[in-house]
Amino acid sequence: MTTAVAATKLRSDQHRWAPYAFISPFFLLFATFMLVPVGAGIYLSLTDWAGLGEPDFIGLANYSRLLGDASFGAALGNTAFYTLFAIAVVLPVSLLIAVGLDARGLKLRDFFRLVYFMPVVLAPIIIALIFGLIFDGQYGLLNAVLEALFGFGGVSWLTDPMWARVVVVVLVLWRWTGYLTIFFLAGLQAIPRELHEAAELDGAGVVRRFFSVTLPQLRPVTAFVAVTMLVNTAQIFEEPFLLTQGGPGEATLSVSMFVYRAGFQRQELGYAAAAGVVMFVIVFVLGRIGTRAFGVGRTR
Amino acid sequence: MSTTLITVEASPAAAVAPVRRRRAPRPARVALYAALVALALVYVVPLLWALSSSFKDRSDIFAFPPALWPDSATLGNYTTLLATQPFWSWMLMSTVIAVVSTAATVFFCSLAGFGFAKYEFRGKNLLFDVMFSSMAIPFAVIVVPLFILVAKLGLANPFFALVVPWVAPAFGIFMMRQYTEQSVPDEILDAARIDGCSEFRAFLTVVFPLLRPAVGALAVWSFLNSYNNLLWPLVIVAEPEFYTVPLGLQALFGAEGRQYDLVMAGSVLAAVPALIVFFVLRKQLVNGLTAGAVKG
Repeated sequence: MTTAVAATKLRSDQHRWAPYAFISPFFLLFATFMLVPVGAGIYLSLTDWAGLGEPDFIGLANYSRLLGDASFGAALGNTAFYTLFAIAVVLPVSLLIAVGLDARGLKLRDFFRLVYFMPVVLAPIIIALIFGLIFDGQYGLLNAVLEALFGFGGVSWLTDPMWARVVVVVLVLWRWTGYLTIFFLAGLQAIPRELHEAAELDGAGVVRRFFSVTLPQLRPVTAFVAVTMLVNTAQIFEEPFLLTQGGPGEATLSVSMFVYRAGFQRQELGYAAAAGVVMFVIVFVLGRIGTRAFGVGRTR
Repeated sequence: MSTTLITVEASPAAAVAPVRRRRAPRPARVALYAALVALALVYVVPLLWALSSSFKDRSDIFAFPPALWPDSATLGNYTTLLATQPFWSWMLMSTVIAVVSTAATVFFCSLAGFGFAKYEFRGKNLLFDVMFSSMAIPFAVIVVPLFILVAKLGLANPFFALVVPWVAPAFGIFMMRQYTEQSVPDEILDAARIDGCSEFRAFLTVVFPLLRPAVGALAVWSFLNSYNNLLWPLVIVAEPEFYTVPLGLQALFGAEGRQYDLVMAGSVLAAVPALIVFFVLRKQLVNGLTAGAVKG
């Protein structure tokens, strides 16, 4: 009798602390390798430091320097452009493809989905290298095709500021569309068929059904995908780093590249940290607004 | 919405002859297939181009217009790459780090996902929010201070720095929580407790086996994240003998002009294992990744 009581007590005690133990590895690593660095980054951003000796406290000087730094302005502008493109173009395109794949009686659905999803497997650096070869101005595949079809193949894809930006977003589109499509397709397939049938009985056409049945039902997926894209694209690094080295000039420079250059090529650690803090504020605030607005991650 | 549903259920006509969504008319279907095939080409052609380029010698790569397939296909790029670069060492480094990271990630994410899914505890919502929001911390923010921290603590050893900080990613925990909530019945857990299992034992012997589909997805996701990562290794790994594949390719590409010939051969060799894993586990990966997001 007493042992049974003791055993029950042991179990209920265990029950109480077990979940904390189970989630503790995350919080341990989070505190050590994220919170501490974020805090250290904020402190570092108020200093001038090349990595040796003691950091020099200089107040907000790094931030006022960032304000006047045309490179940082370019990096912010370009990153905003990439992110906006990801949300405003990649997202709708992925949804459109998912709707196509969801068509009734479609054969080879899994095959198509798999093919579009493939870039997820490839290292971004490999994608950047392959497209470097395709978009090359002198001996690229794309110019060769354009030459053969239309008789002009002299587009300087990677050395013209406007085209270079286009190439970076084309890579974003290529790399992420299939990934987002699988989320939208899963969302579409989870919509109960009765909803569509009911709307159809009520006389709603295809377009009307899409806007009043499909889109509202897809809200959780859309929210999840939008926040994922926001965070991923805001950190874009490999594509401009390898394809264009941020150039021509600073036409494709991203914030991640800016931080990398300031911190690890010029050893301006305080300055790089300040740029990181600015980015953190922007992305985190936008991300929080996004998650709050859509209620991502909550179970009902 | 619910009112329309009720009308359908109440309607005798619906019960007798259920409405079926009609298949699209023929021309529309042809257009759909044409569009899907065209899109598939957009994905396949660049990969084939990489493959074809990897068999071209340098003069063929830098020829215009380029040949779709080299007249004299050669394995020269592969032999040169393997003879002049420690490519297998890069592969070994990438693979060891990715495998160790993946094993640890699967363990910690399943455990934490279980903790969030199957227990009520004080502070749960707040802790979950903190965990979930941490996904929105961009890496660029922490890269400089993290580098300094790791270097100061003397932990810049690649086997530590490329693995330990990343073995409990929030996305993985979120995914496993969603899956655990949906597919592990409370009864089975209670039964294990009545049998005298400790909570951890119940997790290992009863819960974990039920998570297999999601574990497959998480494992692939985690493996690819580690295997394909460039920025952090670029920052932390100084010695060429510890280069991973992305680092090696990056260094090779930047070294002398643009060595597309060698780099393409390396890219093909590096992509093949990842593609194989992907093809083997494709169903699990797709289902596991999307399970959480659909329910929200």
